[in-house]
Amino acid sequence: MASAGLRSQMQYRGSFAVRSVIDFGVVISDLAPVWVLARFFGHLDGWSFAELALLYGMVASSWGIVEVVLRGFENFSIYLVRGDLDRLLLRPRSLVLQVAALEFEARKLARIAQAVVVLGLALWTLRLGPQSFAWVALGVAGGTLCFGGIVMLGAGMAFVTLGESSELQNILTYGGSAALSYPVSIYGTWFRRAITYGVPLAFVNYFPALAALGRTEAAGWPSYLPWLSPLACLACLCVGLLAFGLGLRRYESTGS
Amino acid sequence: MGSLRPYLEFARLAFQRRATYRLANWTGVAVNFFFLLIHAQVLLGFFRARSDAAGWQPNEAVLYFAASESLLMVIGIFPDYRYNLAERVRTGEIVTDLLRPVTLYGRDLAERLGSALYYLLTRAPAVFGAGWLVYGLLPPLRWELLLFPLSLALAIAVCGALFFLACSSAFWRESASGELSAVVFVNTFLGGVFVPLDFYPEALRWVADVLPFRATLYTPVAIVTGKLTGGALAFGLLHQGVWAVALAGVCSALEARGLRRIAAHGG
Repeated sequence: MASAGLRSQMQYRGSFAVRSVIDFGVVISDLAPVWVLARFFGHLDGWSFAELALLYGMVASSWGIVEVVLRGFENFSIYLVRGDLDRLLLRPRSLVLQVAALEFEARKLARIAQAVVVLGLALWTLRLGPQSFAWVALGVAGGTLCFGGIVMLGAGMAFVTLGESSELQNILTYGGSAALSYPVSIYGTWFRRAITYGVPLAFVNYFPALAALGRTEAAGWPSYLPWLSPLACLACLCVGLLAFGLGLRRYESTGS
Repeated sequence: MGSLRPYLEFARLAFQRRATYRLANWTGVAVNFFFLLIHAQVLLGFFRARSDAAGWQPNEAVLYFAASESLLMVIGIFPDYRYNLAERVRTGEIVTDLLRPVTLYGRDLAERLGSALYYLLTRAPAVFGAGWLVYGLLPPLRWELLLFPLSLALAIAVCGALFFLACSSAFWRESASGELSAVVFVNTFLGGVFVPLDFYPEALRWVADVLPFRATLYTPVAIVTGKLTGGALAFGLLHQGVWAVALAGVCSALEARGLRRIAAHGG
């Protein structure tokens, strides 16, 4: 299904190029003000611009991947309200795969590519070793799982709220991505705790980045904590899958 | 140009159109507020790194950003990608527009002012009020604030003209979404949406002071923050006025040529 969507989009090559430019501009316009501030003030809580770009590249990659792969879940409430779900349930294929492939947008791949480029530039500038590379890769992978879980949780809630909760999901995903572009240490106590112990957003990029930079203990955290990142993110995904499964079972049982 | 009445009518309709999206407006406030919280803390975090900051105090920077976030929708920094001039040209709706006794640019400006009034009465005080609740921010009461309404009106005009220019490319090409997005990106950076222009490196600051983008946001917001006084204030308002007039001229010219082109193509 995804390849069919891809082929139809590639037909309009001109506008494909234009829209790729749009996504390219997003990355630059996200980082430009940070660059200005970092240049003027020197650092943010001890994080240089390259290190901030590393944080940004990590979370942008994770969220970018989820936006491409799970777009159907992200916009799930729309399909639910329109009644498209019944059509999908009739097909002899995995529902999860079908929903994920809905609205596959090739241009969003460009967004991932740019985030990865930013990541690459940051890593190269910071001259980090292979161990750090591994942490970054682990962080991006974990982040994908975590955002995936949030999106699926949102889809599961859509069965009950029918789209009224989508803003909450957007705040956690788009808002969360924006918040995670900066070190979690700069935030106030309750906010920091909410995104560390509440929704495990801090495990998406902050703790893996601390490990990659070798600053875990300097930031006041036990050295084993970054190792919990994949576990926390996996837990988030499981919660999401569970919520979606429960919502689906409820939907199917109400006779439709 | 005829009477003002049809323009007032368009403004009123635009106001009402915004008012109907009630839930979207409340969630919009939530989104604005969330970003306000995030970026305020980022700004405060940066300020901890350096005591002397171009004459800006941390709370002034946060006030700047709160005002910016409150006025984003008023000034119209983000275009409506679905309902705009370019879309009307693409779908052919533009033909009915030509029957009305208004210029396209004039109508666009009237609608922007109508929307702006709605957001000025609702979103702006809501977001700014939330900022006041959390950070205790209030604009310093100076006489320069009296010039704020003028600056705001000019900002709306300049911003509208920039997007109108972007949309008018639709007269010659298939769509204008690329141009619209380009304007958004350049405008947020050179207009000082997130960071006051005072912190920009000198070369960039010079560019930003020449180009029209600072007229859309930096000037009115800096007035609210009380950072624009004396000669700098005069320059800011003059800059806005000059660009507003110049861009209005370009828009009218483009409108005329664009419409001729459509007519020639049997539109």
